[in-house]
Amino acid sequence: MMLINTMELWKTFEMGTVQVHALQGVTISIEKGEYVAIMGPSGSGKSTLMNLIGCLDTPTDGEYYLNSKLVSTMTDDELAHIRNKEIGFVFQVFNLLPRATALHNVELPLVYSGKSRSQRETMAKRALQQVDLADRMSHRPSELSGGQRQRVAIARALVNEPSLILADEPTGNLDSKTSLEIMDLLARLHRSGNTIIVVTHDQEVASFAERIFYIRDGRIEKEKRISKSDQVTSEPSQ
Amino acid sequence: MILWEIFKMSVGALKVNRLRAFLTLLGVIIGVSSVITIISALEGLSQSIRDELNQLGPSTFIVNRIGMPMSEEEFFKALKRRPLKYEYADAILDGCKDCEKTAVESTTRGEIKYRNKKLRRARLEGITSSYIDIINTEIAQGRFHTIDEDHTRSRVALIGSTIQEELFSGIDPIGKAIKINNIKYRVIGIAKKQGATFDEDADKVVKIPHSAFVKDFVSRRFGMAIYVKAKSVELLPDAMDQARVVLRAYRHVPYNKDDDFGIITADAIMAIINDVTRYIRFGLIGVSSIALVVGGIIIMNIMMVSVTERTREIGIRKSVGARQKDVLLQFLYESLLLSLGGGIIGIAIGVILGDVLINLIKMDMTPSIFAIAVGLAISTGTGLFFGIYPAMKAARMQPVKALSYE
Repeated sequence: MMLINTMELWKTFEMGTVQVHALQGVTISIEKGEYVAIMGPSGSGKSTLMNLIGCLDTPTDGEYYLNSKLVSTMTDDELAHIRNKEIGFVFQVFNLLPRATALHNVELPLVYSGKSRSQRETMAKRALQQVDLADRMSHRPSELSGGQRQRVAIARALVNEPSLILADEPTGNLDSKTSLEIMDLLARLHRSGNTIIVVTHDQEVASFAERIFYIRDGRIEKEKRISKSDQVTSEPSQ
Repeated sequence: MILWEIFKMSVGALKVNRLRAFLTLLGVIIGVSSVITIISALEGLSQSIRDELNQLGPSTFIVNRIGMPMSEEEFFKALKRRPLKYEYADAILDGCKDCEKTAVESTTRGEIKYRNKKLRRARLEGITSSYIDIINTEIAQGRFHTIDEDHTRSRVALIGSTIQEELFSGIDPIGKAIKINNIKYRVIGIAKKQGATFDEDADKVVKIPHSAFVKDFVSRRFGMAIYVKAKSVELLPDAMDQARVVLRAYRHVPYNKDDDFGIITADAIMAIINDVTRYIRFGLIGVSSIALVVGGIIIMNIMMVSVTERTREIGIRKSVGARQKDVLLQFLYESLLLSLGGGIIGIAIGVILGDVLINLIKMDMTPSIFAIAVGLAISTGTGLFFGIYPAMKAARMQPVKALSYE
């Protein structure tokens, strides 16, 4: 079943008098349950594409269907609703609320979907268990390591059972060992049925995916399906 | 549900920077407390004047030399009038068929001595014995002078509670001899405590028979008022007209000239007091609203800073599904909490200050519900008015831009 369908997505920014075309007609399709990487050098438009797929922004032109719903013409509040229900973000800089505990950070999407306190706690605890952080629930981000922070962010992305987990350079601020742990966690979440899109410039990170889109100058340059044997799925050696 | 959660977020955000929150409150605190102080003090003031006027019944009017001048010019003109004579009281009683009783009150100031203690500038009132039938005078102990004592110019005195406290601590004053400007008087009664209006202590008073006052003190500068009680409230206007005719005849006022005396009723006094306090109120509240506007601007400024500082937080909230309304409410709650907090503190300070002020001018006062309601309303209004713009700015942020804010 198709989860994401974009047709000729354009995104144009006005920089003073100059028009910058960050995306120039991107057409991609991603199925439910896929693990996809979007790769490209900086300035290639991959972050812009991620913002559009993540419903953080709307395209200048073109159509975007998420779960067969046309989202490219939605209002701000409709997009907020989609982000809340359908999308879980994992950012390079974690983007946790610094003063809130891990549990409260994970609960945040549930607050905005109007879940009751007890529901929120149950769901957030379950999500933290999924990322092996059940024992760090009452810690604030400053009391956690980089890897732990990213796992809290992943738990937050998971908690509302979204259709899609969208990770933007999820290992960009982590050392190689911790990066491997995070990528392994994403792989594990994929195996348990989640759709995952990772945006990265790192070949190694991309190699965890089943399919890679290469983007350059706002266009999809090529698409590569990774055979099962090349795909990194093994647990990291301890 | 969501509203309550968002409210808790706002409380949490304010707790993080307590000192800043408190400093932000100051403007509103000053504004609200000054409004409350003014309202409480003015209410106390007009209440105490009202109480005093209530002693004068609704069917009573006062004749004096000055009347109620409405301008400086009128006042100076009135000062040139010939003094009243206390014989007018009997003349009015004779010539005014709707008048029931008259009394004369002459006042001056004098020194009261008991043994080695003395009190200066006490109010000295010479009053006819009928006074007590017209003006509601409550006696704590002893009695008022009789008509016989008035006729025989007896040197007897009813003293106010301040005189009792200052000169007779621990001693029963009844029957004791005091000296009023070195003339011996015997204390026959003590008046009930009345409190004060403005800075005038109404209990620092000695009331003596009018005849004795005329004999002993009339050479001094004094003021005189004739109290006239009409037969009923309905007959008051008629009684006033009749009294005017009598007085004009006695003072030989030509028919084409204005009265050269004044007639005052409790209603007329109250109307003027209400007018005056209304102007004072508007004036002072106008001045203190400047403090409120400044307070509001401080809140707005701090909220703008806060919105900018927390741009990334706003981005995070939006990325996990916060709608514009959710973000708007979060920041609006914060400015409301700030201004309401300031309002509540301001009300407390205002009530206390009002009380202190009232005590300074020695009046009774109860904290005014009206003042508190006004305080809450204006602080809420300030918070909403000055908080809406920063909150809207936060709500309308683009998630992508907010997330990439450094």
